[in-house]
Amino acid sequence: MNDLNTRKKQGVRAFRHRLGKVQIPVALGMTVVWMLLFDGFQPRTESLGIALLGFTVSVAIMMVFPLPPIVPGFRFWPVQGVRMFFYVLVKMAVASFQVTAQVFRPGPPVKSSVVSVRLRTDSDLMLVCTAITVSVIPGSVIVEVAQPEHVLYVHVLGAESEAEAEKAKEDILELEERIVRALGTRENIAELEAAQAAGKGNT
Amino acid sequence: MSDQLVNVLDWIAILCILAGAMLSFVAAVGLVRFPDLLSRMHAAAKPQVLGLLLVLVGIALRLVPQEDTGTFSVGTLLLVGLFQVVTVPVAGHIAARVGYRTGRIREDLVVTDELADRLDTKRRAEAAQKSGGSTA
Repeated sequence: MNDLNTRKKQGVRAFRHRLGKVQIPVALGMTVVWMLLFDGFQPRTESLGIALLGFTVSVAIMMVFPLPPIVPGFRFWPVQGVRMFFYVLVKMAVASFQVTAQVFRPGPPVKSSVVSVRLRTDSDLMLVCTAITVSVIPGSVIVEVAQPEHVLYVHVLGAESEAEAEKAKEDILELEERIVRALGTRENIAELEAAQAAGKGNT
Repeated sequence: MSDQLVNVLDWIAILCILAGAMLSFVAAVGLVRFPDLLSRMHAAAKPQVLGLLLVLVGIALRLVPQEDTGTFSVGTLLLVGLFQVVTVPVAGHIAARVGYRTGRIREDLVVTDELADRLDTKRRAEAAQKSGGSTA
């Protein structure tokens, strides 16, 4: 009998531990995805049930597959966020045309470069966001990420000279700046600005 | 919604879908024309992302005026776009990384390669460690 009781207590403690790992913002995000999947945003009575079920499923998933929390998190800056969004869209369109031109260009095959870009912020989340955006923009593929140093190695299509490779690097750094300004915490932005000031002092 | 507006939206949708299809076509041509793995990755993964997004916008523009519930079906399209944008880079990165590390890359087509230096020093350090340490 005693044995059963202690086991029960252990079970409850493990359950509580797992429950502590649930991150409410992430669960809410998953609920939104669930509702989009089931057309849950229509004004009807079922919507409430869909939302509730979605939230329950999200919490259950996070208890079964706990993930480490996102440190140090992010903060959305609306104006800069909208600017970043349109910047990426324009970049995508322009770069698509460039790749199209390279595809149909007659003559010898297109040359390319692998450049290394050292990011100026120390946050993993910013690293991931920058890497994804760089990958989505045509003409650049991430080949390797050096994690502790935050260096991205990017394969740039059509960068046939040192100058063009240099320009590609600057483009990626500008992209990083815009993303950090749109999604970074205050510390990230301060870090970025400090790095920028230091970079200007050197050159 | 008035008929005229629906007409205009229809035309914009048609243009979007056409542009998206063209971009996917360009991706296919690039796949054939580019010489090595990494350049092919560009062609395969990229114009196609924008192409898909354009097709989705086109479908959305057709869907919205369709029926009362049309606006809400756009949510599904939003999910398709979101997951496409988030997952394509991951697959691309893994393929590129494996391709690079196994040497499936034509060195004569790469002008500057800053990753090669890093991998060289790393390999040398590993080799030194192996020869220095015990064989066990």
